[in-house]
Amino acid sequence: MKKLFIITFLVVLVTVFISWTNYSFKPKPVKFFIPKEWPQPIYDFKRNPLTEEGIELGKQLFYDGRLSKDGNFSCASCHQQFAAFSTYEHNLSHGYNNSLTSRNAPALQNLAWVKEFMQDGGINHLDVQPIAPITNEHEMGENLDSVIAKLKTDAAYKKMFKAAFGNEEINTQKIMKALSQFMLTLVSANSKYDKVMRGQASFILPEQLGYDIFKKKCSSCHPEPFFTDFSYRNIGMPVDDYLKDEGRKKITGLASDSLKFRVPSLRNVAVSAPYGHDGRFFSLYNVFEHYRKNMKPDKYTDSLVKNKLLLSNFEIGQLTAFLYTLTDSSFLRNPALAPAGYEITPIFIHNH
Amino acid sequence: MNKTINLFLALSFSLLTFGTFAQQPFTIYFNHKVGNEVLQLMERSYSNSFGEPFIVNRFRYYVSNIHVTDINNKKTVIDQYYLIDEADSNSKTIKLSVPNNRIKQIEFALGVDSIKNVSGVQTGNLDPAKGMFWTWNTGYVFAKLEGQSDSSHIASHYFTYHIGGYKPNENAIRKINFSIMNREWSNTFSINVDLLKWFDGNLKLKINESPVCHVPGKLAMQIADNYSQMFSIQQ
Repeated sequence: MKKLFIITFLVVLVTVFISWTNYSFKPKPVKFFIPKEWPQPIYDFKRNPLTEEGIELGKQLFYDGRLSKDGNFSCASCHQQFAAFSTYEHNLSHGYNNSLTSRNAPALQNLAWVKEFMQDGGINHLDVQPIAPITNEHEMGENLDSVIAKLKTDAAYKKMFKAAFGNEEINTQKIMKALSQFMLTLVSANSKYDKVMRGQASFILPEQLGYDIFKKKCSSCHPEPFFTDFSYRNIGMPVDDYLKDEGRKKITGLASDSLKFRVPSLRNVAVSAPYGHDGRFFSLYNVFEHYRKNMKPDKYTDSLVKNKLLLSNFEIGQLTAFLYTLTDSSFLRNPALAPAGYEITPIFIHNH
Repeated sequence: MNKTINLFLALSFSLLTFGTFAQQPFTIYFNHKVGNEVLQLMERSYSNSFGEPFIVNRFRYYVSNIHVTDINNKKTVIDQYYLIDEADSNSKTIKLSVPNNRIKQIEFALGVDSIKNVSGVQTGNLDPAKGMFWTWNTGYVFAKLEGQSDSSHIASHYFTYHIGGYKPNENAIRKINFSIMNREWSNTFSINVDLLKWFDGNLKLKINESPVCHVPGKLAMQIADNYSQMFSIQQ
């Protein structure tokens, strides 16, 4: 009889404990900040609500080399905070086994407003985007099963997955949702330009003149506030002999999409050189030279630029002054976006 | 006294409910064949109707959106995604629970509906880690047939068909539909799946001419039309 009592007592205790641990799963919600005058985000936060624990886990994953085959290539090795999460001063990025990527790493910013990903728009949701670089043999060279197996050996991750999602199980879906949560916090909306728009600062003369030219000659494809219309355009960049990258045509199969690439955002453009989908433009000056002189239009080149752009040297100087006002140093140095334990992303994160 | 009546009422109500919604197990087996022969991965060499010899290394496909209709026209929809894989014999049996009536019709989709192709990262059988997912051009591979053939002129004589496409102009989802009234009733149901139909249908798919299909589009839709004919009921 006594035995039975003890057993019953233990069962009750275990039940209470289990329900208590379940009950204690209460991640702290984080409100997503929408800058003033910006549209509603495209990302569906209801299906992946931001929480402190989820963002923390996503950041840990973003900076973890174990997501790559040899441990050397975290997401951050090609997406560096000080370069607005592009690869600093690299036309192409370095990947597994001394390989090079085939495109220039884009800056990662304001992703909640982005509908399609990659320079050809082939990926239709932020939550599945990281699978491409993780599994690409020229990037992280890994497969998802191995990533999961490696993370499972780390007790700290078990705790973090439990804190973010309620249990210790590690799977593709949770990894991707956590990465999305972190990447969604990469919001850049505090450059000098933004402060001017909010009435908290004013342009100096060349910046103002540059802004006026920009609105006349650039903003059809690079409209505010994102400085891109997210469309795909052929701007008369002939195909690279070696890469043979036809851009959007590879996704849609349409000849008319030949050599079309996504219009990049110009936010933080000063820190994200080189430019162009394959990084062929060394500096902003090369981009201007392309638009006014070097472009090789073909029959699918965008009608807005196919006759080239008239740009004087003065205008180029003023446009450059304006574009530099799009640098958001509070974003580039935000300690919340740096790896755990660092104030800003340390330079050694880029060791290639 | 009151308590007893309540208990009695509750019991009879639950019995009644159970009677109305009584379920029976219903099992579907997929038997993979090449013509009349049983499929054996990597072991045996087969030949398609153009005389091209081939071996099969991998054969996988998604079965989803299963609808079962009983003789009272009551439809049961099974909102599950099954990945049938020749290399995993358990996957070739689908166990369902359906209303306790004679079933007259069964329908399913070969593929993954567009919603799941555009709603971000999924889990379970739709986990991208299952290898049935295009990472660079988002979308599920609905069916995979891979092997080697002397007729193939690509590296290692491979032929690889990865068929998918959910966009309206690339739609490779195919509906499969069986009436099962003309056979003796049994709640297990075997479907023969003949791989030769991949090659020989409206499209004459010669390994020699097309050893590879890895993107959604016209060829993928034609191959999907071909393989939508690969299912038949085992009598």
